[in-house]
Amino acid sequence: MIKAKNICKSFTDLEVLSNVSFAVKQGEVISIIGPSGSGKSTLLRSLIGLEKINSGQLFIEGTQVKDDNKIAYRKMGMVFQGFNLFPHKTVLENLIEAPLVVNKEKKALAIKRAENLLKKVGLFDKKNSYPAQLSGGQKQRVAIARALAMKPDIMLFDEPTSSLDPELVGEVLTVIKDLADENITMLIVTHEMGFARDVSDRVFFMDQGKIISDTVPEKIFVNPESKRIQTFLTKILSQNDSSQ
Amino acid sequence: MFDYIVNVSGYILEGSLITFQLYLVTAVFSVGLGIAGALGKISKIPFLQAILSFYTWVFRGTPLLLQLFFAYYGLPVLGITLQPFPAAALTFIINYGAYFTEIFRGGIESIPEGQYEAAEVLGLNYRQTMSRIIIPQTVKRVLPATSNEAINLVKDSALVAVIGLGDLLRSAKVSVTRDFSIIPFIIAAIFYLVISSIIVTVFRKLEKKYSVYE
Repeated sequence: MIKAKNICKSFTDLEVLSNVSFAVKQGEVISIIGPSGSGKSTLLRSLIGLEKINSGQLFIEGTQVKDDNKIAYRKMGMVFQGFNLFPHKTVLENLIEAPLVVNKEKKALAIKRAENLLKKVGLFDKKNSYPAQLSGGQKQRVAIARALAMKPDIMLFDEPTSSLDPELVGEVLTVIKDLADENITMLIVTHEMGFARDVSDRVFFMDQGKIISDTVPEKIFVNPESKRIQTFLTKILSQNDSSQ
Repeated sequence: MFDYIVNVSGYILEGSLITFQLYLVTAVFSVGLGIAGALGKISKIPFLQAILSFYTWVFRGTPLLLQLFFAYYGLPVLGITLQPFPAAALTFIINYGAYFTEIFRGGIESIPEGQYEAAEVLGLNYRQTMSRIIIPQTVKRVLPATSNEAINLVKDSALVAVIGLGDLLRSAKVSVTRDFSIIPFIIAAIFYLVISSIIVTVFRKLEKKYSVYE
C-alpha cells in the first residue's frame, strides 16, 4: 500500500528525516510516537506531498510519487492538529467542496454522502453550522468527515487530539477507532499512548529523524527494549497522569 | 431663499454627475487592479514583485494631486494628450489600485497557512484554492480598510476641479463666486455627507453579512 525507501528531508541545515524506510499494508493502522522534533509530522506531510523530500522513493499503491503529487492527494486524506476547516463555509459545505470542485461530482450525490458521513461522526444536526460555532472536538470530527468525503484509501492523522481540551479527546478518538475497524489504512501521529496501544497494528517509534522501532504495540508498551523508548514512555505517561 | 437653494442644488447635482461617474469607474477598475496587484505581489516571481513594489511605492508615496497634474499637464509633453475626464479616471484608478494592492496583499497574507494546506490535501489546485477558499475569506478581512478607501475616494474626487472638470465641488465654487453666498458650499458639504453616509451604510451591511461566520 505504502512503501518508503530511504527518505531524507532537511530544512536548511537541519536533517528532519534521515533514511526512513518502511512499508504499510492495506488496512493496517500505524501509530507514530516519539518525542517532539523527532520528525513524525514531517514524515506524514512528506507522504502526502506537503513537504518535498530531498531524496528517497515513495510508492503509493505501487505507483511512485513524483513532484506532481496528484496520486498522493487522490489516495490520501489528511487530518491536521489545527482542524483547518474552511471558516466561511458551513459544515456541509466544507464536506462537499472538494467532491464538487475536484471530482466534479453531482451535487445531490455529494450532499447525500456528506450527510451520511456527518451521521457517522455524530454531527448531522450541525450540518448548517459554521465551524466557529463548534467545539474543538466537533471541528475535528468534521475535519475527519471532510477528508473521508474524498473516499481516500489512506488516512493520515497529524496529532488529531493535541489541540483539544482533555474532555473532548475521547469523542475524536472514538471516531478514529471506528474507522480502524473499517479496514481503512491509517497512519496516526499521536501522544495518546493508551489509544495507540488499543488501536494500532504496529507502532513506529521515531527519534532524531529515524524510525528506531517498528513493532507490535505490546512490545513497545509492555516490554520496551530500548532505553530511549523507556525514558520517553515514562515521561509521557507521568505527564498524562498529572493532567488527569 | 428656498427657491435659491433648490436652484443651486440642481446646479450642484449636475456637477455631481461627473463625480459619480468618476467614482464608479475608479471603484470598479481600481479594485480589479488591486486584486491583480496583490496576487502578483504574493507570487514567487521576483521580477513581478519588484515592478509592483515600485508601483505602490511611487503612487502611494506622492500626492494624488501631483499625479493628476502629471497625467493632465505632464503627459502631453510626452506626446500623450488626454481629455480631463480620462486623465482624471486614469490617475484615480492607478492611484487607488496601488492602495488596494497593499490592502488586499495584507488581507491574503493574513489567511493562515493551514487553509492552503487543507485545500491542497483535498486536491484543489491554485486557482480553485484562491478563488474559493482564500479570496472569499480575504474579502471579509479587508472590508473595513476598503470602506475607508471608498469614503476617501468620494472626497478625493473633488481634486479633479483643478484640471477643469465640472464636478460637484467645482459647481459649488462657481455658485459661490457668482452669487456671493456661502450657501452653495454648505449644500456641497451636505451632498458629500449624504454620499459618504450611503457608502458607510452599504459597507456596514456587507460587514454584517460576512459576520455570519466567526
